[in-house]
This record gives sequence, structure tokens and C-alpha cells, in this order.
Amino acid sequence: MIFRQLIAPPSFVFWKASELKHTLFALTTAACLFATASRADLVDEILNDQILPAMQALAESSQDLARVAETICRPGASPLRDAYAQAFDDWIRVSHLRFGPSETDNRAFALAFWPDSRGKTPKTLANHLRAADPSLLTPESFAQSSIAGRGFYALEFMYFDSGFNSAKPHEYRCALTAAMARDIAANATAIHRDWQGSYADQMRQASGRYQNETEVKQELFKALNTGLQVLSDMRLGRPLGSFDKPRPRRAEAWRSGRSLHHIVLALQSLHPLAIALADGDQELIKKLDAAFQKPILRALRLEDPRLEGVADPAKRFRIEALQQEVNDLRNLIASDLGPSLGVLAGFNSLDGD
Amino acid sequence: MTSRRGFIAGLLASGLAPSPSWADLGGPAFLSAAKDPTGNHLLAGLSDAGAIRFTCPLPGRGHAAAAHPHRPEAVAFARRPGRFADVIDCRDGARLARLLPPTGHHFYGHGRFSPDGSRLFTTENDFENAQGVIGVWEVKQDYRRIRSFSSGGIGPHDMLLWNMGGEPQLVIANGGIETHPDSGRAKLNLPEMRSNLTLMSLEGEPQEVMELSQELQLNSIRHLCLSPDGTIGFAMQWQGDSGAVVPIVGLYQPGSTPRLLAAEDPRLRGLQGYGGSVAFTPDGAEIAVSSPRGGLVQVMQSANAQIIHEYHLRDVCGLATSPSGLLASTGLGQTFALKKDLIELKQQHDLAWDNHLVPLI
Repeated sequence: MIFRQLIAPPSFVFWKASELKHTLFALTTAACLFATASRADLVDEILNDQILPAMQALAESSQDLARVAETICRPGASPLRDAYAQAFDDWIRVSHLRFGPSETDNRAFALAFWPDSRGKTPKTLANHLRAADPSLLTPESFAQSSIAGRGFYALEFMYFDSGFNSAKPHEYRCALTAAMARDIAANATAIHRDWQGSYADQMRQASGRYQNETEVKQELFKALNTGLQVLSDMRLGRPLGSFDKPRPRRAEAWRSGRSLHHIVLALQSLHPLAIALADGDQELIKKLDAAFQKPILRALRLEDPRLEGVADPAKRFRIEALQQEVNDLRNLIASDLGPSLGVLAGFNSLDGD
Repeated sequence: MTSRRGFIAGLLASGLAPSPSWADLGGPAFLSAAKDPTGNHLLAGLSDAGAIRFTCPLPGRGHAAAAHPHRPEAVAFARRPGRFADVIDCRDGARLARLLPPTGHHFYGHGRFSPDGSRLFTTENDFENAQGVIGVWEVKQDYRRIRSFSSGGIGPHDMLLWNMGGEPQLVIANGGIETHPDSGRAKLNLPEMRSNLTLMSLEGEPQEVMELSQELQLNSIRHLCLSPDGTIGFAMQWQGDSGAVVPIVGLYQPGSTPRLLAAEDPRLRGLQGYGGSVAFTPDGAEIAVSSPRGGLVQVMQSANAQIIHEYHLRDVCGLATSPSGLLASTGLGQTFALKKDLIELKQQHDLAWDNHLVPLI
């Protein structure tokens, strides 16, 4: 699937250089028209081909997870394991789109409480199990409960942590995981509903929430950068720690062995966004393709699902190299893609303090 | 012929020298960190009009600085998560000392001297414990670290001295955001962040804590300024949805509820959720906030909370009260005087001015 993406034909028409010489005027005119048309399409393309289908997939797989979790609570059972994996995958694919519907009512926070630097998720879950309060489990009251005990990462504890996946009381644990899955489905569905119902149109129209198309593109550009920053600083940086003090237990979702998988998923969903934002600039698209290909291939070859290699000097350098390639990608995007979208990489405006 | 330095050294040796003071320097009025075209970092002293009075090199990117109240000494702080704070003799740019925070801490880029100049306070991240710390350094003992205390929150950033009668107090902007050097500048606790303004005695005893309401939980209080009547101005950085129209500037009188300025004004969106620096006009009647992301300075009236001026300046961030009004600096090396409807370019240097213009007095 990755390879299909990497070798996908360019979506832009090439003219041969020999033909150009004779048709300079025509080219200028055509290029202008084409540029205008392509610019108007950029947002539509990202919405129609990327964001809306991905949000729909998340809503559907989350609903599926909720259905399965109603009847099965044995984490070893494959229908549940598969449904959880699919829904979590779908979340990771959109986890960089942190604006608009995902931020309403703290939905994204409730879907993904991570990182959990103070260990609040296990504390919250342990409290739930100790209290075994049935009234917590109605959709309304669960939606009011601490976000540290909700979402995919909390559910991972319940399914994959040996202290929680057989915790007693058994019945309450099952009812709790079912409630957690329902809550995930409710949030994912609400996000999709808002995207489809109004937010996509607000981005297309760019006359209210966004005052012009530049603002829309900048929002998407920011999402791309946020995604890459999370990838480098959190998904890789946190487990890497320092050479003297690696932190394998800070790897994302290591209990379910999804740490490396998330890195691949994130790169695969950020790649088409970057390409679309390049808006037909073939030179830039080539550079971006190459710069995405490197970390994607390296990640696929790592064979270290939990990133445990951070603590092994013989393997650590490969994970550091992956992080470096992601940072190279960030630099390329800041220097080559940002300016074309009107994003000024100023000394002060670049990143805040 | 006796050189100036030799002459001063001779006076010092004879015990006849008057204590060096800021007056020896030809009137620098502000400090600012900068980057030069070759990529080297430095601290500069600027006149009221933005002219450079002195520079001295820094080992990495600086952020803000603290000026000693009497001696012509300044401490230039590393930008987070940097670990240096250089004490600089502003007469010649010589480095007098380098402060290093304890293992497991880094500086946040801001600090203040006690009113008598005997102690320096620094905002720090105790990053293994995710706790904000104020470091205390004894100036007379070559800036020896003598103690530290809790900042009253996570992510203490700017700090000022509130000295309006009674015991002087530190006012600390606890931004609320947890970071760790292992994960760069990534924000680790947004779902649960709580920012506050904490007033403390110089001994670290909390006197007062101001928190914003729950719906503004994602607004990180970062930068501070003080009006002549003791009103604390604060600028915030919004961590939530970029579409939200949220207040970026507030005013706080200890003991009362904070006032958030221009709270419903759609022009706030021009700041892109980001207040970079904040400064009052000399009379305190107006407060200005800069946004490098928006390339914008907005001036708001303290009394009626309305936006009354907007200045569009690319990559603007430094902002300070000057005798004639406000001075702003940009990453493009410019300094501007801002007054009513006028923007006056004062100076253009081949430097990128960093986030803050720090007034010397």
C-alpha cells in the first residue's frame, strides 16, 4: 500500500521542454489558468480525498468497536482485537487534524489522552474499578468523567495491561470497557458529523470561520507540521530519551505493540497531505516524495514494534536515524512548502515561547 | 596613555572608584537578544531610539534578560530548554559569570533581581518532576545558587516584581504547559493544563493565586508587564482551536478578579491566539500586545478594554514601554516607535531581534 502511494503518477500535466520553446505565450497563459484552477481545487481535493473519507472511516470503525465491545470483553478474542486495532488505526490517521470538530467539547482529548506523563490513566481506571459505580457507565455520566480514563489509550490499558485486563470485578470491567468503546464511538461520530455537516463547507467557502483561502491552507499546513512534530518529538523523542537514559516504557501504545505501527500510519497519512499542499509543483513533489519515502521505508524495516531498541546501543542508532529523517522532512516543509502557502518562517513567528 | 579600562582598574585598586552604574554606559535603555547574519547569538543594549550601545556574544539562542537595579550588569537567559544564564558586564560586554541550573532543570528564559539587587530569581523547569521552580542566586557571592522554591505551577515563564508598598512580591506567570527536553518543545499535558498567576514573597511563600475560568483552561499565561499604579498586565497563548476568538490580554490587580480585554472583539483573531510580548504605555492607560504569528501589534485601552490601534509589522515580537510611548522590535532587525496612528522606523540593524525588549529601569 505504501509503495502504491510512493509511485503514484503525478496529478499534474507535464509539457515537454521542446514544445515549450515554441509556445511560450501559450504556456504562460495556460500556466496561469492552470495555476488558478489548481489552487481552487487544492482544498476540495484534501477534503474529498483525505479528510472526509478518513473521518468517516474513524466513525464507522469506532461504531463497530462499540458494537463488538458490547458482547465481548476478552481482549484475546480476535473480533475485539481486530475492531480495536482498526478504530485505533483510523484515529491515528486523523490525529494531526486538530482543529474544528476535533476540538469541540474536547473530543480529541477524550479520544486520545496521550502522553500520560503522570500516570493518570491507570490511576483513573483503578479508581473506576474500585468504585464499581454503575451510574458512571451511562453515556452521559461517562462523557463527564476524567478524560484520563477515556479513549483509545485508556482502553489499551484495559485490554493489554496485565494488571487491568483480568482485573476484578469481572462484570464491571466488561461493562466499563463497553462504556469506553461507546464513548469513543460517540466522539468519533460527532467529529464526522460536524465535518460532513458544516465544517468542510466552511473550509471550502472560506468566508466565515476562515476569512480567505490562505487561512484554510495555513490551517492544513499547520496540521501537517503538528503531525510531524508529534512524530519526532513525542512518538520518537519520548522513548529515545537520551543515550544514557532511554525510556522504552514511554513509547506510545507499547502494551499493544503499536508504537512503530503508529509512526508508519502517521507518515502515510501526512504524505498525501504534504503532496496536495504542494499544489502541483513537480519539483517540490519529487523532493517531498523522496523525503517521506526515507523514514517510511526505514520504519517498515525496523522490526521493532515497541521501539525497545532505544535501550539497545546496537539498535538505537537506527531509531535516531529515523528521527533525523523526520526532522529533515520538517525542515524541507518549512523551507520549501511554507513560503508557497504564505507561511512566513520568521525568527519570532516560527515557533513560540 | 592610560586606557579607560586601565584607569578604572587603577581606581578600583586604590579603592577610590565610585561604584560602576548604568550611567557609565551612554544610556542604554533596553536589552534584547539577537541572532547575527552568521548565525551567532548575542545580547545587545539598545538606546531609547533603538541604537545599539553594546553587544556581547551568547553561547546559544537567548530569550529575555534581567538588568541589575544598580550595577551595570545584566543576566542573559537561554531560550528554553537552554541551560545557560550569562552575567554580563554591560560596560564592555565581558562575561562575569555563567549560571548553570541544577541537573534536571533548565531555564525558561526569564528572571528578575530583588529590589536591592542582592538576589537573582530565575524561572526553571524541574523536568523530571514536571514542576515549576524559582531558583535563587546570591549576587555578592558570584551568583551562587542559594536555594529554590516552587513556582506555584507548571511552566513558569515570565516573572516580575510587584513592589507597591508592603513587602515586595514576585509575580510569576505559570504557563501550565509541561515539556521535557527529550521531547523538544512538544506539549505533554494539554488536556489537563492549568495556567495561573502566582504572587509570592521573595522567600517563596505563596500570597495569592489567580486562575482563569474553566473554559479558558487552554490559555497559557506567559508574559507580564506592570503599570505605574501596580496593575499587572498579562499576555496569553491559546492552545486550543485556532478558530476560537479568545482573550489574549488581561489586567490584574492583586486582590480583585482579572479583566480580560477586548474579549468579544473579532479582531483578536489577528493575533492568531498568540501574545508574544506585552507592555503598557508610560501612563498605563493603554496596553500593547505583539503577535509574531499575526505580524501584528494591538493596543487596548486599560479602562474600557477596547482595541484602539493596530500596527502591522512582520515578525514583530519585542515590545517595551519607552519614554515616548512604545518601542517594538522585529526578527527583521527593525525597531519601531509606535505612537497613536504612527509607526516610525527608528533603526534597522543586520540582526534578527529575538522575542523580548527588556527595559533597564
